[in-house]
Amino acid sequence: MSYQEKRSIVSILSGIVLLAAYCLYTIGKYQKGLVVPGDLKFWATTILVFIGIGIVAFIVIQIVFHIMLSISIAVSKAVKDGNYDDKEIEKAIKVDMVEDEMDKMIELKSLRFGFAVAGFGFIGGLVALILNYSAVVMLNIIFISFSVGSILEGFVKIYYYRRGLNHG
Amino acid sequence: MAKKYIITNNIRTLRFFANEMTQQDLAEKAGVSRQTIIAVEAGKYSPSLELAFRIADVFGVSIGEVFTCEVKVEEGKKQ
Repeated sequence: MSYQEKRSIVSILSGIVLLAAYCLYTIGKYQKGLVVPGDLKFWATTILVFIGIGIVAFIVIQIVFHIMLSISIAVSKAVKDGNYDDKEIEKAIKVDMVEDEMDKMIELKSLRFGFAVAGFGFIGGLVALILNYSAVVMLNIIFISFSVGSILEGFVKIYYYRRGLNHG
Repeated sequence: MAKKYIITNNIRTLRFFANEMTQQDLAEKAGVSRQTIIAVEAGKYSPSLELAFRIADVFGVSIGEVFTCEVKVEEGKKQ
């Protein structure tokens, strides 16, 4: 499995954990009766806090992932070749982690898919308003669709890395 | 009738004749990741013209010796 595929899996998992945490937190609060119906301030605060947590968690997870990956490459190289040459290991890590034209193209294709899901979520939110659901429902549909979009983006990336990509 | 262009390559053969050059070495010299070289070699990714030239340059051959194109005519399809 390549570095890019592993990175996609890590971002999918962090996205799933964040979405699950948001659902558990909000459903828990709702079941305990701590949420006043139609309290937009509570939902806006919760979503903003979770966006903040998500950004920080993503950065931390990516740093930990890169450290772990570098260690695993260094260990496997040392075990395979028998010697521990720092420059060779550094070179192997750099070659694995370089971002090139194929990565950029796959990134663009997956981003397009993610934005399409988020866009459908936005339309869904507007439809919910037309159908007389509260603004809270719309807010949640939009937030969840953005989160699901970013998770699916990771799956699309893995799909293209496995299947390949041809122009035209 | 539509024409379909199937691009194949001789990278594996060229690597063999270049002292069994590894995919990692080729990736490094062409300035891309090993994953991209694997995909190009397997025909899963059509590289840009620039990358195709860079790969040819690594082997010191013309682009036509690395990549070949086969044209297939599909009947019943509009071009």
